[in-house]
Amino acid sequence: MKNQKWLRPLRILIGLVFFSGFMIIFSDVRATLPPGMYNFFTSFQFLPSGLKLFTAHTLISIVFIGLVLITLFGGRIYCSVFCPLGIMQDILAHFNFFRLPFKKQRRKFKKALNYIRYPILGAFILTWISLGIVAVSWLDPYANFGRIASSIYQPLFVFLNNGLSDFLSEANSGSLEGIHTVSIWLHPVTLLAASGMFLLILVLVIYQDRLYCNTVCPVGTFLGLLSKVSLFKIRIQNTACTQCGKCQLACKANCINIKEMTIDETRCVSCYNCISSCQDDAVGYRLARVKPAPVEATRASKRAFIKSGLLYLAAVPLIAKADDSYRSDEADEHASEEKQLKYKDRGPISPPGSRGIKELKEHCIGCQLCVSACPTKVLQPAFLEYGFTGMMFPRMDNEVGFCNFECKQCGDVCPTGAILSLTKEAKKKVQIGIAQFMERYCIVKTNGTACGACDEHCPTNAIEMVPSVYGPNIPKVDPEICTGCGACEYACPVEVPHPAIFVAPSKVHGTSKKFVQEQVKWDENVEEDGWAF
Amino acid sequence: MKRRDFIRTSVTASVVTGTLFSMGKWTPLMASGNGDASKPFLVAVKNGDAISMLKAGMDKLGGMKAFIKAGQTVVIKPNIGWDAGPERAANTNPELVGQLVKMCLEAGASKVSVFDNTCDEWTRCYKNSGIEQAVKDQGGVVVSGKDEGMYREVSIPKGIKLKKAKVHELILDSDVFINVPVIKNHGGATMSLSMKNLMGVVWDRGFWHRTDLHQCIADFASYCKPDLTIIDGYRAMMRNGPRGVSVADVAMMKYQLISSDMVAADTAATKVFGIETEQVKHIALAEKLGVGTTNLDAIKPIRVALP
Repeated sequence: MKNQKWLRPLRILIGLVFFSGFMIIFSDVRATLPPGMYNFFTSFQFLPSGLKLFTAHTLISIVFIGLVLITLFGGRIYCSVFCPLGIMQDILAHFNFFRLPFKKQRRKFKKALNYIRYPILGAFILTWISLGIVAVSWLDPYANFGRIASSIYQPLFVFLNNGLSDFLSEANSGSLEGIHTVSIWLHPVTLLAASGMFLLILVLVIYQDRLYCNTVCPVGTFLGLLSKVSLFKIRIQNTACTQCGKCQLACKANCINIKEMTIDETRCVSCYNCISSCQDDAVGYRLARVKPAPVEATRASKRAFIKSGLLYLAAVPLIAKADDSYRSDEADEHASEEKQLKYKDRGPISPPGSRGIKELKEHCIGCQLCVSACPTKVLQPAFLEYGFTGMMFPRMDNEVGFCNFECKQCGDVCPTGAILSLTKEAKKKVQIGIAQFMERYCIVKTNGTACGACDEHCPTNAIEMVPSVYGPNIPKVDPEICTGCGACEYACPVEVPHPAIFVAPSKVHGTSKKFVQEQVKWDENVEEDGWAF
Repeated sequence: MKRRDFIRTSVTASVVTGTLFSMGKWTPLMASGNGDASKPFLVAVKNGDAISMLKAGMDKLGGMKAFIKAGQTVVIKPNIGWDAGPERAANTNPELVGQLVKMCLEAGASKVSVFDNTCDEWTRCYKNSGIEQAVKDQGGVVVSGKDEGMYREVSIPKGIKLKKAKVHELILDSDVFINVPVIKNHGGATMSLSMKNLMGVVWDRGFWHRTDLHQCIADFASYCKPDLTIIDGYRAMMRNGPRGVSVADVAMMKYQLISSDMVAADTAATKVFGIETEQVKHIALAEKLGVGTTNLDAIKPIRVALP
């Protein structure tokens, strides 16, 4: 067991690199970092990376296979070096930021809470199969970290940034490299979800360090099961151990039983604190001997698994029913194409690259990375727009902004492939909706004065200003050319009852036609002197 | 209360900056820098590139020193409204803006700032228009036009529909203001020229669109008079403006109009473009408010045709 003490510093180093990486990408409020940097850090996230294997078929998903192999090699290394939620807990515990009135327990061996963790994992898998990704989005550690980072950390960052920006503008320096005032939006849904999860984690950290990872986190539980068959396991060498108990005190997972000199590898998060703490060099990785699991333990976990399955099956009809509103919507998808949609009933607009609402809801985990990286902030988390099973998924909010024609940042950063990374040319043709013009609210009709704000903003020329009976020219939409970017809706100065032009979402994204015209000609209309005036 | 009002709160920690300082340093109707306001001028230059036309035009006016005293601060307001490259003519030619910055600094300006309240996301506009780089290369600074804390409300005494507006502090506080629009067709305002370009120095454009676009443009021009207006007609957007769709909308005009009088400059631009001046309603409305004259003969334009 000698020479393994380097493992802990290495674990801390890599962990800090990943954690800092995530803090940096969630601080990128102006979307100035290359998407490759986002992809590097997110590709190491277990579940998103696994999802991307099926959605995007990109080379980067090889990392997912690597993560599985690492776990089969040395246990839950993922939980200590790649998972930002896990590292966040280590940081919270290490600095002991929140000294609560009760005293922290002295660490000792605890039994695994199998009756909680296996039902959660079971429900997680069963829900995924039957209801879609909803439970995944609520419980996945990376998604939760994303929400904490974007809803709690980012506002604080922006607050400091804006304070500094004001200070600098007082100091009279205002170049683009400098810091600029940024506006972001806080959504109660994500804020509540993030705060709730953060508080739960905080309480569990204060109570028992990595208790969250070993009871609530389905990815942790799953990797724990994989760890049972890992090639190398951390073990206590009976002959060298003096049972001093230092390793047990150092163990964040409460999984070392010093009396029996055993380590529960399903809960061990590979932090290597035990290895470093052992003065007798009795703790360390050893090639695992294949040994059948104790029968009683297996039975208990099986029982728990089955119980959870039954419980869950009873709940499914309820949740499914609650989400019917969305499903029935989809049925009359084509019927509503002819008639004009009502502004308030139009439903959510899904981002370009997501292929449509159904596809988005199959692959999004609501991590908020796209929302955080969107330079125009048109991407906002949904409340109930996508139904109960689509809470916190990104939607285009044209009151906040509109989709920049040249931008494809959301698809480039999406870790799961729920929003695909498209080429610029392909993105410019995706039709996420079609602008719908309601003449009766238009300024040109109601006020009789010129406006053209929608036409001004339209990047594709889907809007043309045509002569009208009201005097000035009035907009006319060509639905074939429109991409549904929402620029017209955002720019429309009509506020009451709602913009006179707005995007009717395409539930399944279409393809718009490219507007092509011949090269314009200009000849100066000159007088005798060779000048126009 | 609408639901979205309930579920969303804007977090913007921008604090009102600088409002306590430097109030009213700039008085609107006297903002003629050091040029002679009583003698309006119009210089038309053609057949050159943006830089050579600017040099030739400014030579006729006694150089940039006639407008900028040593130590003065200058603000340049090009059109940077769109996330599009220079070839699209959606924004002012970056070469022209860069050369202007250079000439201002050579004339002794202490600081040259450039900004626009853009339509597309501002950092992308600044970058992809090429203007940010051009300005920095010449030693100027680009400033955000998207920080509401940098705007102050002013009243517009002559305004008929637009009585007050929130104006960027650079316009209010700089010693010299140079307006650098680009010639474009415009779906709402018919043409986007020098007076239309001033929409990018105010915060709330929606009010203008909602109320009476042409009148508001004229009203604001009665308040805000640049010391120098330089209309970029090197490339011009002939249709589908002001954003345009592709380079097919762009004509190589190779023109530049330099003037102290926005009405005269815009009138000349309509003639070069090939449209009746009356069709661009805000030009006549502004003339009525005494902003300038559409009678180009009265102003005696100086014409320079480069070889």
